[in-house]
Amino acid sequence: MSETGVPLLPVDEGSWRLERYLRQGGYETARKVLVTMAPAAVVAEVRKASVRGRGGAGFPAGMKWGFVPQGGDEPKYLCVNADEGEPGTFKDRLILLRAPHLLIEGMLITAFAVGIRTAFVYVRGEYGPMARRLEEAIAEARAAGYVGPRLFGTEFGLEIVVHRGAGAYICGEETALLESLEGRRGQPRVKPPFPAAVGLFRSPTVINNVETIAAVPQILARGADWFLGRGLPKDGGTRLYCVSGAVRRPGTYELPVGTPLREIIEVHAGGPAEGRSVKAVIPGGLSAPLLLPGEIDVAMDVDSLAKAGSMLGSAGIVVIPDGTPMLDVLLTTARFYAHESCGKCTPCRIGTSWILKIVERLKSEGGGPADLDLILDLADGIKGRTLCPLGEAAALPIRALVLKFRGELERAVAR
Amino acid sequence: MSGAKRIGLTIDGLKVEAAEGASILLAAGEAGIAIPNFCYHPGLEVEGSCRMCLVEIEGLPKLELACSTIARDGLVVRTSTERVREARRDVLEFLLAEHPLDCPICDKAGECRLQDYYDLHGRRDGRMAEPRERREKKIPIGRGLLLDRERCVLCTRCVRFLKQVTKTGELGVFERAVRSEIGIFDGAPVDNEYSGNLVDICPVGAITSGDFRFKTRAWFLTREPSICPHCGRGCAVVVESVKGYPLANGERRVYRVTAGENPAVNGHWICDLGREGRRDIDEERHGVVLRQGAPAQGLAWPKALAEIAAAIRSVPGAERAAGVAVILNAGLTCEELALAKSLFVTALGLEKIFFAGRKPGQADSLLLAAERMPNDRGVLEAGFTPRLPTLDELAAARVLLVFGPYLLDHFEPDPVARALAAVPSKYLFSAHAGPLDRLVDAVLPVTVTAEKSGTYINIAGTRQSFGRALAPAAGVVPESTILVCLANSLGLNLGDIDAR
Repeated sequence: MSETGVPLLPVDEGSWRLERYLRQGGYETARKVLVTMAPAAVVAEVRKASVRGRGGAGFPAGMKWGFVPQGGDEPKYLCVNADEGEPGTFKDRLILLRAPHLLIEGMLITAFAVGIRTAFVYVRGEYGPMARRLEEAIAEARAAGYVGPRLFGTEFGLEIVVHRGAGAYICGEETALLESLEGRRGQPRVKPPFPAAVGLFRSPTVINNVETIAAVPQILARGADWFLGRGLPKDGGTRLYCVSGAVRRPGTYELPVGTPLREIIEVHAGGPAEGRSVKAVIPGGLSAPLLLPGEIDVAMDVDSLAKAGSMLGSAGIVVIPDGTPMLDVLLTTARFYAHESCGKCTPCRIGTSWILKIVERLKSEGGGPADLDLILDLADGIKGRTLCPLGEAAALPIRALVLKFRGELERAVAR
Repeated sequence: MSGAKRIGLTIDGLKVEAAEGASILLAAGEAGIAIPNFCYHPGLEVEGSCRMCLVEIEGLPKLELACSTIARDGLVVRTSTERVREARRDVLEFLLAEHPLDCPICDKAGECRLQDYYDLHGRRDGRMAEPRERREKKIPIGRGLLLDRERCVLCTRCVRFLKQVTKTGELGVFERAVRSEIGIFDGAPVDNEYSGNLVDICPVGAITSGDFRFKTRAWFLTREPSICPHCGRGCAVVVESVKGYPLANGERRVYRVTAGENPAVNGHWICDLGREGRRDIDEERHGVVLRQGAPAQGLAWPKALAEIAAAIRSVPGAERAAGVAVILNAGLTCEELALAKSLFVTALGLEKIFFAGRKPGQADSLLLAAERMPNDRGVLEAGFTPRLPTLDELAAARVLLVFGPYLLDHFEPDPVARALAAVPSKYLFSAHAGPLDRLVDAVLPVTVTAEKSGTYINIAGTRQSFGRALAPAAGVVPESTILVCLANSLGLNLGDIDAR
């Protein structure tokens, strides 16, 4: 998979090294922030930059930080969500492998802004090499005095702990991540209270995605206005768009927030191979309802995708080529959510399994329109009723698949 | 609730008041609006997983959980709109889709939340045409409890009870998604003194008790509140019995004792010792007067009492104070103790009044008290100074009245037999058969706590009055009746005597 595009930093095999990072001015932003800025000013700058969460929910990071109660003796924690499990998404992997110091610098600034002394990076279980790379980078930074106590001659210090997940999609959900990090079964908690108030070990906690934290140094280096200028007024900066599927140049592309989906697919990723065409596009990871070829003239930002009836999610773009049987796509999708449902709440636990059982039967024995209606009904029974967003994430793409490809599916199941 | 701030909200058009910090579910419950739920339990932390209690809150786009949403001033909540009803219908449909529907052979039938809610809120047409998950249906999980994983709705009340209340954590959720199931860890079954509560709190028939399994149906049971007499805590219990006693051989009268709710004493739980008390109510009970340990033909208790009165009268007035000895116990109610005081102390002027009860045991950190009699505080409050007799003191009596079989809890049988042999007239008032029966002239059958009404004062000083939970068998009388009738036989009217 190529990693061409417009990188923020030159990323290549050796780019992860501290020495390379320092040569490009690495850790200078953290030094400036820690030595010259007040924490509140850092939060204000990030809030002004409208950097929306890159993990999938799109919540503005600065606002999230602002919810953490200040003062008081209790510890506060930073958790970096590197449980990159959304199908079609592989951007955090790139940062961990090629630019881990950018993430560490972002963590320093975030922790300083919120008054945090301990940070955890929760790395997806399958990401062994990425976790090792990050640990190597942390060791380098610690040796050079960029991680640990009294950084840059200030009172501020930060310890970073890398924690490996055990291979559950649900642990990317922030409260399930906290449960897992605490050593318990990875299942989401009821919200409220939100992690900003009651999070890891019942303490105020900031949880941000890897890419979100990695975007922080540039905001503080060049200012919120510059960052906003690279994206949209309410959705600043650039994002790492992962393009996979039927395109000539699959890969991760750093492009401004709001870049048209069609441009990403056709110009940057080279579009489908000669003689092939696009049948459907998943714009933001498997949980994002798919779009038809006629619907891809949409700007890739949180609000525009929502308006188009889908979501930007993790910006993982999957291009489905012509000739793909949509019953297979439905089966794959249903199987994923039925497999990854944590089982805690009723609608998701049983609803996803029930839908899978129907789709498996449709695949093996066929069926009729009533089966498709039931799938829609069951998806409606999950949507909006579950403990965490996984229910929505399962129900919405399944609904979209059935609604948008109803004719094809009916023909496919008729025996 | 004194001092706690109250807030006002509207639920289903009703102006409702609630304590600050109360959930919508609690606020609604106080106003008599029942919101269905499985995973919520007032004695456990909120889980929010069953999704049954979703309600509509004005101004919020999604349905919200009534169990975890805190009621706020001015909130407008709706619990019976079409959206809410549809959500309930859907959750129930999901639960039932993976449920074995073996209600005809399920102990929980008749008191099952899934059954009750489905009846109220469920849809009539079954749409599940796919094969159900097959799971193990009778897993022994310890302490005579059996787990049926097909019936389980995964509310995790059991798991949370063991984590949060007993802190023993024997049960966990294993596997994921629809394969999720409750289980014990390898080789470590449920083993704590509160295990029976798991059956009480299971909202469906997933955890059943070996002691109750297949014995009767829930709808045959009459449920009456009482107080547990097995330690000084005084937990609220519910005595669940069938009418029509005496029953055919092998049938039970009391099928189970379950936890009653009393926030001031036991919250929602009782210990296994108290739950096992159902045996104490029915087993080894005296039904007729015994003479030298054998049923006395034609000797009903009033006649036996007349004999006792005659024995007391036979002791000359001057010698009576030292010659007639009485052993009471702290299982007597405050009312009975007051009668005993009037009769034995005030009217008869007896000096030899002793107490014997079950020996203290080990207290635990939850409910079980070291004191194993229910009314030690009541004894003190009645003005007695409880003291165990010495065997010499027993032997010195000319007439001895023993309430309760507890002497042998404190002395070896042989010395007691020798001491009693020296007493010319001795009578036992006891509910249960025991080795003391043969050592006395006659045994009069008396009631157990569940068969009487009265007042106990628990170890914390909480005074609790309780009613009769079930009728005693014919020929079995409460000690209060014994005391009043004995006074009558002696020509004394206890009503005229000031117990104080």
